[in-house]
Amino acid sequence: MTGTMKSLPAILLLSCGLRAADCVPSHLGEKETLARFQELDRAAQAAFDSGQYGPAARQYREAACLVPKSARAFYGLGLAEAAASNFPPARKALETAYALLPDNRMPLAMLVRVNVAMKDIDQVKTVLRTAAERFPGDADLHSGLARFLAENQLLDLALAESLRFEQTGSTDTGSAVALAALENTVGAYGDAIRNATNIEEQADAADSVKASAAGVAGLSYESMGQREEAVRHLKLAIQLAPSQENSYLALAFLYEKGQKFQEAVEVLQQGRSQIPVSPKSGSSNFLLPLGNNLVWAAQYQAGIDVLNQLIREAPDTAEAYVRLAEAYRDTGRPELETQTLRRLSHIHPDYPMVRVLTARAMLTMNPVDYAAVLAELAQAETRTPNDADISYIRGKVFFAMNRYQEAVTALRRAIALGPMDPGPYYQLGLTYRKLGETDLASQTLDRMQHLKPAATTPER
Amino acid sequence: MQGQAPESPEPQKSAPQNLSYPLESIQGAITPPDRFFVRDHFSEPELSLGSWKLKVEGRVTHPLDLTLADIIERPTTKLEAVLECAGNAAGGSAASNAVWEGVPLAHLLHEAGVASEARSVVLEGADSGRLMPDSPNLPYCQMVPMEKCMRPESMVAFKLNDRFLPRKNGFPARALFPGWYAMDSVKWLQRIIVLGQEDEPPGFQQSGMNKVYNRILEVSPGSRKVTRLSEILVKSAIAWPANDMKLPTARHVIRGFAWTGAGLVRGVEISTDGGNTWAPAKLEFRAKAFSWVRWNYFWNATAGDHVLMSRAVDDAGRQQPIKRDALRKDGYELSFCAPVKCAVR
Repeated sequence: MTGTMKSLPAILLLSCGLRAADCVPSHLGEKETLARFQELDRAAQAAFDSGQYGPAARQYREAACLVPKSARAFYGLGLAEAAASNFPPARKALETAYALLPDNRMPLAMLVRVNVAMKDIDQVKTVLRTAAERFPGDADLHSGLARFLAENQLLDLALAESLRFEQTGSTDTGSAVALAALENTVGAYGDAIRNATNIEEQADAADSVKASAAGVAGLSYESMGQREEAVRHLKLAIQLAPSQENSYLALAFLYEKGQKFQEAVEVLQQGRSQIPVSPKSGSSNFLLPLGNNLVWAAQYQAGIDVLNQLIREAPDTAEAYVRLAEAYRDTGRPELETQTLRRLSHIHPDYPMVRVLTARAMLTMNPVDYAAVLAELAQAETRTPNDADISYIRGKVFFAMNRYQEAVTALRRAIALGPMDPGPYYQLGLTYRKLGETDLASQTLDRMQHLKPAATTPER
Repeated sequence: MQGQAPESPEPQKSAPQNLSYPLESIQGAITPPDRFFVRDHFSEPELSLGSWKLKVEGRVTHPLDLTLADIIERPTTKLEAVLECAGNAAGGSAASNAVWEGVPLAHLLHEAGVASEARSVVLEGADSGRLMPDSPNLPYCQMVPMEKCMRPESMVAFKLNDRFLPRKNGFPARALFPGWYAMDSVKWLQRIIVLGQEDEPPGFQQSGMNKVYNRILEVSPGSRKVTRLSEILVKSAIAWPANDMKLPTARHVIRGFAWTGAGLVRGVEISTDGGNTWAPAKLEFRAKAFSWVRWNYFWNATAGDHVLMSRAVDDAGRQQPIKRDALRKDGYELSFCAPVKCAVR
């Protein structure tokens, strides 16, 4: 016997469900007690059903006082207290209900929910272990718990319950897909593929379930570096359930990772044509990847249109501005690029390097407003004072303005902040040349030659 | 580490992995899973989550047969700890630091009802092969004294940096003995066997494991003292610059890590002249037991050829040696200071 089995009765002994002080002494006879109990039970149920959880809890409590061995009263009390967010008394009542009726899984299932609400993970685990020992073959219980735990982002415990579900030998395909998805999430790709492909091959499984399974298999194959298999399964997922948005997004992401931007665009456009736009969520799930991939596939105008639509629908989407600015840059429109980045810095002032990006964009305008670029860099510096890039660009600006001494100062600072970046050395060498300091120029350019890129490959 | 991969005549599904990554690529204190060093003896076993089990048996009153669900649903502990291969070179990168989560080994042993006469445990992995050319095909195993097993930091770990262990790092679960060299932190753990004083550890001698991971000291000519490796010695390594790097004259930041198996790293010193003079480096955060500490040193590099060295000292005053002890006749505990040569122009 483990500590799990010992712990709940022990807690029960300590708590005794309700303290004597919670109950008004009853002088009713046996028959009257039963009648009163039934009356309270009905009233409590009605109150609960109409969302009056406080009154429901009071009536269940009174019923439990009348019949202290009624698991039904304690279970109802637990539900009502939980619904009213009174979790500690809910837990106590449910523990009593379980102790009174240990062959019923419902108090345990509810206890898991209450302990999750209380963020008491140790107690969640205790109850789960009890459930595993008492009801090892109850597929519904374990799959239900797995679903609930996954919804609450307790993925480890969801996986544990999914594995317990699997051990029951149940053939419920929905729960099996959920297990495969969890296995994929935790990196058990072989298990995920085995389970998912089993479901894919089941003739009697619903197409939507098979599609989800194919999607999981695709993602797991991708994680294992088997891209062709991944694409095959994700295409199958789309074919089986053309209205499942995730399959298009996942397949497009695979193409994007493989730099097959045109294929990604085609998949996303196919998805957009298949899935009606919901007025609530708009079409933004497709728009960002579509806009990105259109720009990367050099379909700039189409990309600009999509990204502008996304910005209209979801103006907080920072990446849309960055990509739109990239599209304007690649099509030689620095004014629009600058304007877009300014909008981004207005909406997300803390977006990394947004002012440095803006300054860079301004430098490509014709004519360049150097004073404005310097002002932009000064703004950038207030947020990231030790950014070598800011000093580097400032040095380039001073150089372009023929203010060579100031360029030297800025570039030397850039080197001090980032001594391994060759760019500032080169620019500083050019600046020294302009100043007639040929020895310093060659020394600086020589130092640049010594720089070597950092090794990041694995050693064997 | 789990030692050097022995050659095996057996056909294998995948070659044992031997990977490490430059310490320079580690940002912050935690090694990302894809940068965690790997030293295998045998091929990675194919394990299924649904069928994987961990047995706890031997001198216990209630042998356990645990599924992964059983492990996940037990009380867990979380700890930041460095693992270092016992054969990691001086200045080498076969050391990684991560946040581990798992079930305390003491909890499982108590639950199994460990007998009072228990003295050690054998930990067995699901990977197997021939450790020595003449040894039989056996699972990887190590033997660890009960005292270390019962320490609160020792665990059966199933998570690394808040994610399930990667397969190469022992998925679904491995032993973890913080403060000890990594060979004892058996990956793909499948069996824990509790032994009494006189019990023969199954597979340990037969596989030849008793012949490796030993400290061999030549105490006098022809006379050798052999002891088992355990606690990680105090050590530091320079992460940047790399050996033979060419640098411009500038103010550079020398960076690295320092760790020790017992106690805390108290300080790190840097020499830029091959060990003639030393100056203190700055510890970037407060040292914690079992984990490494990141350090840095601002170096005004002047033109010339330089030999950089780092040496750590722990709170018990144990200092990293400048050179390898000449009496050592094994290839482990290479904790001496590693020179890093730089040409500054």
